[in-house]
Amino acid sequence: MKKAIILFIIILFIPLFAADARGSEVAQLQQEMAALRSQFSEMKMSYETRINQLETKIEDIQKTYSIRAQTPQITSPVQPQSTSLGRYFQSFNPDVSVIGDFTYHATDRKNEEFRNQFQMRQTELAFSASVDPYARGDFFFHIEQENGDWHIGLCEGYLTLLTLPIEGLQAKAGKFKVEFGKANKYHLHNLPWVDYPNMITNYFGEEGMSEPGVSASYLIPNPWNKYMELTGQVVNNSNGVSFAGTDSKDLVYLGHLKAFFDINEESTVEAGSSLAVGSNTGSHGKFGKDMTALEGLDLTYKWRPLQKGLYKSLTFQNELLFSQKDRPYFDDGTDIIDGKTLNSWGAYSSLEYQFAKRWTAFGRYDFSEFPDYTKNRENAYSLGLTFAQSEYCLWRVQFKRTNRNYDKDENAVWLQCDFGLGPHRKHEY
Amino acid sequence: MLLAMSSFAYGKDTLNVLTTTEDLKSITEAIGGDKVKVDSLAKGLQDPHFVDAKPSFMMKAKNADLFIRIGLELEIGYEELIIDGSRNQKIRIGNPGHLDASEGVYLLEVPTTAKVDRSMGDVHPMGNPHYWLDPENARIVARNIAGRLSEILPENDGYFKENLKAFDKKMDEKTAEWNRKMAPFKGKKIAIYHRSWPYFADRFGLVIACELEPKPGIPPSPGHLKEVIDIMKRDNVKIILMEVFYDEKPAQFVAAQTGAEVVVVPNSVGGTKDAKDYFSLIDTIVEKIAAGFQVSGKE
Repeated sequence: MKKAIILFIIILFIPLFAADARGSEVAQLQQEMAALRSQFSEMKMSYETRINQLETKIEDIQKTYSIRAQTPQITSPVQPQSTSLGRYFQSFNPDVSVIGDFTYHATDRKNEEFRNQFQMRQTELAFSASVDPYARGDFFFHIEQENGDWHIGLCEGYLTLLTLPIEGLQAKAGKFKVEFGKANKYHLHNLPWVDYPNMITNYFGEEGMSEPGVSASYLIPNPWNKYMELTGQVVNNSNGVSFAGTDSKDLVYLGHLKAFFDINEESTVEAGSSLAVGSNTGSHGKFGKDMTALEGLDLTYKWRPLQKGLYKSLTFQNELLFSQKDRPYFDDGTDIIDGKTLNSWGAYSSLEYQFAKRWTAFGRYDFSEFPDYTKNRENAYSLGLTFAQSEYCLWRVQFKRTNRNYDKDENAVWLQCDFGLGPHRKHEY
Repeated sequence: MLLAMSSFAYGKDTLNVLTTTEDLKSITEAIGGDKVKVDSLAKGLQDPHFVDAKPSFMMKAKNADLFIRIGLELEIGYEELIIDGSRNQKIRIGNPGHLDASEGVYLLEVPTTAKVDRSMGDVHPMGNPHYWLDPENARIVARNIAGRLSEILPENDGYFKENLKAFDKKMDEKTAEWNRKMAPFKGKKIAIYHRSWPYFADRFGLVIACELEPKPGIPPSPGHLKEVIDIMKRDNVKIILMEVFYDEKPAQFVAAQTGAEVVVVPNSVGGTKDAKDYFSLIDTIVEKIAAGFQVSGKE
């Protein structure tokens, strides 16, 4: 019985002891859990901090390198672009340009053909391209109105041999504007004025001297490494003003020496001397001396500031021409000159000043005699203003007063518009 | 190519290199080191579109062994005249002595219209030629130059490669620095004078809101400036970025109307005294833009 009571008590209290034991275990477990939670929380905070730090670093690195990793929008010009495909296919065609020269000419000289009239003075068609690896070709056709009819003529058409075996040598064959001074080489549309200087028209004709022939130019080596170019040309004697004219079978010989110096990076000087010699009758001395010798000097100063060169520039250009023309038989109706040489000369001095991106003012003084009429003289004073709408279109107004000792004085005003289409090759400096 | 190379018989250790811009000169000097003597036609102060084909430049071209151009018709107004006038066959297009630095560069603004004509202003049919203002393009230019120098002077191939490596390393360091400095301005809108800046803006995350030129190469007109002012006010544009060679008056007028800052920066090496080489050019641009944003932010 006693055993039974003890067993009963044990059975009765075991759960109580067990409950006590479980309670302490739970408390212990809870403590452990709290500790774990605390540790976990610390670790979490620690890891979160570290993760945040790493994310910041990654972001920094991404900022640094993401720009480099960007895919370029369009790449490689080596591949023909679809947009320039037309140009690609046309690349074997020459560059073709059309340049219009439109004027209104008001003058008090009554016998002028286009007096107080609008005039499409000239349309130039230009074709330029490489011929092969050794040469390039240039053609300039001029369409002009004469006596009511339109005519097209070849102003220039020549081949330039660019790579001759002698270093510094270049040659040209075809019809070209001869290398005499500066202004003779200009085309109408790239004159800095509306008209050619009187010296050019009086000694070479309305648009200067352009003849078929051959030309060779050589860069003269020199210890200063400066640009010094010697040009020799032989052309047909078809200029009828100073030389014999189209009936002649003779040739004219020309030489030109050009020296160019940089005063500094903004200013340059170009000096040139020219010589042209040829018969003026084509009679081969049958009636005595019949040679014409023309000598020219040119001096050009140019200034364009480096930084503001789009807005300001200045050109001061001067030329002198001397003529000795043998006239074995000259009859002006009153007297006969036999075996005499007529000495005459002409000159011009031009100043252009660009004072804004689109605006240039200019003035030119001309003095000129005539190769055949040495007593006749012209003094002319020109003033003008050019507005360059863009590189390819300009508007110009020019006033010119010409005093003549053989005719009435003249006052003339031109309005001019020059406009070009296509990739016309730039002109020489 | 080998035949062509041998026919020129460079036969000397130092090459005369003529570049069209001072940026190309700077990169060529970095790669070529003492194996090259470099001269540039255009100066950093100049508008690189308009360079006179002076006969003295023909003499420089005559003496050149290697001619390096920006390409994309940037030099269309003078390059051909100078090369023709130089009578130097070595530097003619197609020969080893002529390098178009744009080979393989990232291009922007390649016209997408079927026809490109001058009604669009002074557009470049092959794409915007101001690519050198993206430092990543400068790396490609450096690679092109190193490759060509190695072709011409193969005995110095290792030297050029080492210099290229050093150039790339410095570019890595500077790029990180430029990116860090420009990062605060990412996504900010700017106005520009001429479209010289799309490459720089694209690389550093600036957004070009408008240009003072109505079309490339066409001077600002009063009517167009009114539109620019409206856009700048609407988009809260606070910077007008322009080159050193343009007239500041239109930009100052717009700035006065909008409260924006005019930031005049060189777009070529030599454009300011600080821009001594390619790295200092980008340094100068980055610093001036950052200063411009800071000033405009305070006002």
